[in-house]
Amino acid sequence: MKEIIRTEDLYAGYEGSVVLKELNFIINKGEITVILGKSGCGKSTILKTIIGLIPPISGDIYFYEKRMDYLSESSVNNLYRRIGVLFQNNALLNSLNLYDNVSIPIKMHYPELQKEIEREMVFSTLSQVGLLKSFNKFPSQLSGGMKKRAALARSMILDPDIIFCDEPTTGLDPITAHGLDELMLNLKNIFGITLVVVTHELRSIEKISDKVIVLKDGAVHFSGKYDKLFTLNDSFINKFFLKE
Amino acid sequence: MTKEKKDILLPEKFTIENVPFLFNEIKELKKDANIEIDFENVERFDSSAIAFLNHLKINYENISFKNITSEFNKILGMFHTDESIEHDLQIITPRKRFEAIANRFLKLRSNFRKYILLLSDEIYYTILYIFNRKGVYPGEISNQMYDIGFKSSPILCLISFLVGVTISITTLEQLNNFGADIYIADIVGFGMIRELIPLMTGIILAGKIGASITAEISSMKVLEEVDAIKTMGLVPEQFLMVPRLIAITLAVPLLIAIADVIGIFGGVIIAKIFSGIQPSAFFREMLVTVDLKDFFIGLGKTMVFGWTVVITAGYKGFSVEKGAVEIGNATTDSVVLSISLIIVLDCLFALLLY
Repeated sequence: MKEIIRTEDLYAGYEGSVVLKELNFIINKGEITVILGKSGCGKSTILKTIIGLIPPISGDIYFYEKRMDYLSESSVNNLYRRIGVLFQNNALLNSLNLYDNVSIPIKMHYPELQKEIEREMVFSTLSQVGLLKSFNKFPSQLSGGMKKRAALARSMILDPDIIFCDEPTTGLDPITAHGLDELMLNLKNIFGITLVVVTHELRSIEKISDKVIVLKDGAVHFSGKYDKLFTLNDSFINKFFLKE
Repeated sequence: MTKEKKDILLPEKFTIENVPFLFNEIKELKKDANIEIDFENVERFDSSAIAFLNHLKINYENISFKNITSEFNKILGMFHTDESIEHDLQIITPRKRFEAIANRFLKLRSNFRKYILLLSDEIYYTILYIFNRKGVYPGEISNQMYDIGFKSSPILCLISFLVGVTISITTLEQLNNFGADIYIADIVGFGMIRELIPLMTGIILAGKIGASITAEISSMKVLEEVDAIKTMGLVPEQFLMVPRLIAITLAVPLLIAIADVIGIFGGVIIAKIFSGIQPSAFFREMLVTVDLKDFFIGLGKTMVFGWTVVITAGYKGFSVEKGAVEIGNATTDSVVLSISLIIVLDCLFALLLY
């Protein structure tokens, strides 16, 4: 299976504190990889490091087998055109309505695209996430689940190769969370989009994950297929999945 | 008459990079043109390609597809938009415009009512607190006095001094022409104590204290802290506003006293430097025109301006419902409305007191 992202001896964190150490893992194309671990173990930090919001302390990140240089504008721009990000707090721009929020990537990256096509793309995407009728509402008029779906629509508008989702279902009711899980599965199955999902929602992990990366104390504790998790008889993993 | 005919051979990469060129090829065609789309070469496509095809399907009557794969056909069927939505987006009738204007007036009336209600609530809660000492967090009044009084004093001193200096310089030049330099003391004393210092203090309080109160309360509203206060059985309008109202009431006399002294000091310096008027002569002349009543009028005016700033800031802060943009707008609106009200009130005072 073709790899999209690979990390080699990656150390990451914030000024003066190393949060993640010696990370080596691979994210394969067309898979949903779930990153999980206790609160504060560095799950969101991994995402932010891969997408270039936090510079790595040391080590390398490869995107399509090409080493990422986060200081190079062209390298970062190439990355941003091929990824989508669903932030933990949605990060929708409150001053813009849903249509404008979702169309930002098109307007910024493809200003030459005709308005008619842009409108079709935005409405199609909103239709896929079930928000077509709310296209002219502002984020403040949307519920938590709707905001998550709107943010997902914005992240997928340019058909990214990979979408990073930071706790997409946290704080949502089970029915809305189930809908969002279904949506992520559709993105993988129908459009072949790769997803990296940070979550600790057990139901979600069981349903969507192809591969699981478990973090413990800032290092990779387990990386592999979901089914293999429970064959290890590992105390930390069993506790995490409430099996002990 | 024969219909226009257009055959389009789609490129290998039917993606967002090529869609604008394809669109330009068909945009001049009439609605009933026969368009045939050939998929033979297509190896890759994306959602902009599907959007392009959807656009064709909606806007042209005779579209036919050639060599289309079943996979593409299936995905095309999954994408659909509701045409009526687009119409909603565009139609703004004159009636809708008129309704929007009327709604603005109705909102203005409703906002005025809310402002007056908040004002009366605050008067009630402040009197209630003075008698029963409940509903306000202990120590909050002194915290607010520190913020409102102490933190505002440096900028107020600087502005007062500069206003005193400016008034003296500009007035002395005219008085010199008539040999009436000594009357600079009357102008600076009377003008500063009764008019300029209260006005400047009001404006500084609006910019510094008003903005911070609105930003703080509106953030608390957005972050549901105000709801939390309510669920604790407290009244947010009392819990948050009464300490600020009492603090400003206590801080204003001190601020005014300091500002008056420094403003006049600025005038004295200029009078001495430019006209050689001794400070003792300056004060002797000033006290002929200015008495304690003028100080209290200035103080009273500033007190009213201060209450206006706090009430306006609170009103704008509590009016925020959701979102970061609303916080920014409310803060700006609070400063603009406070300054406007201060100037209107100042004008009313001038009419009543002179």
